[in-house]
Parts: sequence; C-alpha cells; structure tokens
Amino acid sequence: MFLQQLVNGLVIGGIYAMIAVGYTMIYGVIQLINFAHGEIYMLGAFFAITFISFLGLPFYIAFLLSMTCCAICGVLLDIVAYRPLRQSPRLAALITAIGMSIFLQNLAMVIWGSRPKPFPHGTLPAYFEKTAVTFGGVNLSWFHLFIFGITIVMMFGLNLIIQKTRWGKAMRAVAQNKTMAALTGINVNRVISYTFALAGALGGAAGIMVGAFYNSIYPTMGYIAGVKAFAAAVLGGIGSVPGAMLGGVVLGVAEAFGAGYLSSLYRDGISYGVMIIVIILIPAGLFGKVLKETKKSM
Amino acid sequence: MGKLRLQNPSRGAKIRISLLILALILPFLPFISDYILHIVILIFLYMILALGLNIVPGFNGLLDLGYVGFYGIGAYTSGLLTYHFGLSYWLIIPLAFINGAIWGILLGAPTLRLTGDYFAIVTFGFSELVVLFLTNEIWLTRGPMGLPGIDVVSIDLTLFGGPKWEFIGELPYYYLAIVMVMVTLFVMNRIQDSRLGRAWFAIRDDEVAAVSCGINLLAYKVIAFAISAAFGAVGGSFFARWVTFLSPDMFKFWESFLILCMIVLGGMGNIWGVMIGAVVLVSMSEVLRELLPLLGLPVEGRFLAFGLIMVLMMRYRPAGILPIPAVAAQMRAGRVKRKKVKPTVGMKK
Repeated sequence: MFLQQLVNGLVIGGIYAMIAVGYTMIYGVIQLINFAHGEIYMLGAFFAITFISFLGLPFYIAFLLSMTCCAICGVLLDIVAYRPLRQSPRLAALITAIGMSIFLQNLAMVIWGSRPKPFPHGTLPAYFEKTAVTFGGVNLSWFHLFIFGITIVMMFGLNLIIQKTRWGKAMRAVAQNKTMAALTGINVNRVISYTFALAGALGGAAGIMVGAFYNSIYPTMGYIAGVKAFAAAVLGGIGSVPGAMLGGVVLGVAEAFGAGYLSSLYRDGISYGVMIIVIILIPAGLFGKVLKETKKSM
Repeated sequence: MGKLRLQNPSRGAKIRISLLILALILPFLPFISDYILHIVILIFLYMILALGLNIVPGFNGLLDLGYVGFYGIGAYTSGLLTYHFGLSYWLIIPLAFINGAIWGILLGAPTLRLTGDYFAIVTFGFSELVVLFLTNEIWLTRGPMGLPGIDVVSIDLTLFGGPKWEFIGELPYYYLAIVMVMVTLFVMNRIQDSRLGRAWFAIRDDEVAAVSCGINLLAYKVIAFAISAAFGAVGGSFFARWVTFLSPDMFKFWESFLILCMIVLGGMGNIWGVMIGAVVLVSMSEVLRELLPLLGLPVEGRFLAFGLIMVLMMRYRPAGILPIPAVAAQMRAGRVKRKKVKPTVGMKK
C-alpha cells in the first residue's frame, strides 16, 4: 500500500512537475501567471489523439508531432494575446490569460466535444500494459517506467538548455532584467517566444502522457491539472525551475498519500490547501527569491 | 437645492427615473412572458453580484477570482437555514450578509498583504475549496444530490393577525430583486463618495502614495473584500430562495469568470458600466443558449464568446464600455509611454 501510493505519487508528481516548469519559466520571463498553460496541456492530449485516430500515425510520432504543435500553440498564444499587453498593468495581462484559458477550453469543447475520449483501441504500444518490475508487492508497468523516463530526460534536457546554451543564458538574462538584456543585444521578444515554445512542448508532453495513462481525454482536463501544477510551482517558489520540479513531485506524493490515507474526497483540495498555506506562510516557496523584485506591478 | 432639483432634474436623474419606471411597469408590458421575466430577474441578480465584486477589482485594483465562493456560501447559508429551521428570508438577508463578511475577513486578512497575482490565486483556491466542501460534506449539504425544496420567500404577518403571503411565480421575485438592486446601488453610490471609497481609489491609483497619506492599506483592503463578499452572499441568499434548489455545481469557477467578465466589459470601477455589463452578458448568455444548439454546438460553447470578449476588451478597450478616467489612464499608461519615449525605454525602471 505504502509503496503503491509512493509510485503513483511519483508518476503523477513528475507530470505535475513538467507542467509546473512551464508556469515557472513563463513567470520568470514575463512575470505573468499563464492561466492558459493548463489548456496547452489539454491541447497536447487532443492533438495526439487526433493524429493517431485521423492520420493513423504511430504513438511515438504522434507524441513528438503534438509536442511540436503545442510549442507552436504556446508561441502563438504569446504573440496573439500577451505580447500586445507587455506594457499594460499586470491586471490586464492576468485577465487576458484567464480569458484565453476559458477560450481555449471551450474551443476544444466545440471542436472535440465534451465527452471523455479514449485512445483508439490498440494504438498505444502493447508493452505499456505489461509488468516490467515487481518489488515489495508493487507492479510497475512499462508505462510507469516510460513516464518516469520521459520526465527525467526532459527535466535534465531542460536544465541543460537553461544552464548551458546561449538561449538558456538569454532566458536567464531576460528573467533578471528585460531592459538590460535588450541593451546587451538580446532579442527579448524572441527569447520570450522561445520560452513559451519550451513550456508548451513540456506541457503538451505531460498532457499526452496523462491522457494515455488514464486513457481519457476531455476539454476540462487542463483546468484542474493547471491549477495543481501552479500550486506545485508556487510550492517550489515561482520563477525557480528546480523548485517547480521538486514542488511537482512533492505535491504529487502528498496528494497520493493524502488520498490514500486521509480522504480521497478531498484529493483535489490537498493541492489547493497546500497552495494557500504556502502562499500565506512562505510566499517565496522553497527555492524562490523572485518575489521581492516583482513586488509591485512592472 | 433639493427643491430646485426636484423641479429641474438633471439629465442623469431623468434617465435614472425613467429606467426605474420602465423596470416597474415592465412585467405588465404585452410581450413579456414568464421566461423573459425570469431572465430579467437573473440580470438583476447578476447586477447585485457584479456590483459587489466591482469593489475589489474596480475600486481597489485587485483581481478576485474566488467571488463565487462567497456567492455559494451565501446561497447555502440561506438554503440550509430555510431547509432545517424554516427561517424567514428577511432574517436570512442580514445573516447571509454577516456570514459573507466573516468569510471575507477570514480569507482577506491573511492574504491581502500579497501582491496582485498571488491574491488572485488564493481567492481562486478558496472558491474551489468551497465547492469541494459543498460537494463532500454530505451530512450538511447533501452534496452532489443538491438541496431541493427550499421554501419560497414569504411575507408572514400572521404574528400581527395579518395574512401570510407567499411568493409564487416570478412577479413578486421581480419586485424583490428590484428593491435589492436599488439598495445595492444606493450603498455602492454612497460608499463611492465616502471617505472609504476615496481611500480605495487612492489605493487603486497608487499604493505608495496612499500609504504616505496615512491610509492603512491592509485595513481598507480587508474592509473592501468583506463588503464585496457580503454582497456576494446576499446575492446567493436571494438565489437560493428564488430557484429553491441548490447544488455545488452552480458555484464553479465559471460563475466567477462570468461576473468578472461583466465588470471588465462594462468598465472596471464604474457602477453604471458594471450594470450594463450584467445586462449585456446575461442576455447574450441566454441568446447563445438558444442559438448554439440550433447550430449544432454544445451549450458550453458560449463561454468561448465570453473568453474572447475578455481578451479583446483587454486588448482594445481595457477600461470597458464606460471607462472611468483613472482606470483608463492606468490601463493606457504603459502603452502611451512606449510609443512616445521609445528610445529612452532603458531609463525606466
């Protein structure tokens, strides 16, 4: 029981972490809570299922393709909705973000319908269901391992991009001070687009994996996942990428144990509760230090 | 002065009086069916809610995403007190008001120190927790089964040997709603011109300047939040006794969004604008509810339009249909600066 909950928590936590990283990166560069990020995650799952059922693509190719689509969606979201409001007060951008979130969610509902959709039978790789490892009475399927693997690879990849590449350096510079970054010749808008693309790709991947894990995809899936991931980002300290990763895992495990041992009815309440308590008591989160700089509006 | 005004009402007063007369005779116009009356009551209800919410984003410049939580608290306060104790609606109104205010203070006092986006998120989490509570505490609220058979509002004069008059049909509720809107409107207008209102505007326009004028930021914000919550709860109490059925689904985030949308559309901080926003969005919502199924689209699709309105308004007319100058200036500030002083943008912190 304990181990089973731990495994479930880690799997879900890894996925929260992947979404949370998107929130935190975007918050880092433009100080905006991108409410529509959960919708990108939902779109990822819908893209994948569309590619698989209409184009008949194999799972892995659909996976990569829909990650790309999500990256493009992220960039478009920024260009269409947020870029015109860069200089506006925070309130305006925040309201736009909520508006976009509702818009995308309902767009998906109009396009794909509101009923939960499963992946067509037999389109997920067959070995996913098979047990890979058994220890302490817990069966780990290959799918668990697949999610673990993808999560870890992506997290390491992201860290590499942020820490080692030129683009990562530019991103960090923009996050610290946009004006100074622009003065040193960094194309700020392009860096922001790039951040949205990265965040979108990660969010999309998370969406596909959750969609395949529960084998059910529906337009409002991004809403709750988005909030929980945001809670994870807050827990880790918003603006901090390692914080978001840790926050996601901690939240996932806390939720699994909370649902298993306390009350499964309040499963979703755990993350809201954690979020509120963290914001009130330690608003900088576990790793955050950004709060002071972004105290008042831009 | 008073006499003079009565003889020579200003243009604004004329419009207001004619609107009120129109509202009073509306149910007797020939083309008004019960369905339309129902929608007009809904508009009035949302006017109360939007006017209440307006205090936080409109007067104080803070984003409140959890307003529906207070609406739900008020509705269930009213519903449960009626269901279990058969309390009169006239007693419930003040109780709902107080309960809403208490929750507003409980939530606001620790969180209003936070910056804008954190505050928005906390309020959002709060309203989700309210829905979870209403769904899961079945012993109290009957959970997802809902709370049916709440008594209608009645005027009970049997204590004084008079008759007992129950509110049946839409008509009595229509007039009750008008009275409630008038009271809300009166309170809002008075608050706006009071010391309290001016302190809020000062906070909205510039927090630092407000503090240096001796305004206690936290205290004034908590008062604002509590009053806003209280009006939300009063709206909820009316809703419960009007539709006589409650279920936790009615208090999801959508509602908060819809009410916020009314404020954004009408003009944040403008009392009349907010009311127009309520009229436009409720009517639009009803029209789309009829129209969308004809086009073969799901009814939920109407939120697509609301989301779009929100985004477009922020882009092209961020201060709403009826902007108030201070908000408009604030919303434009960044953009104008960017156009005129582009070369020196580096100097700006």
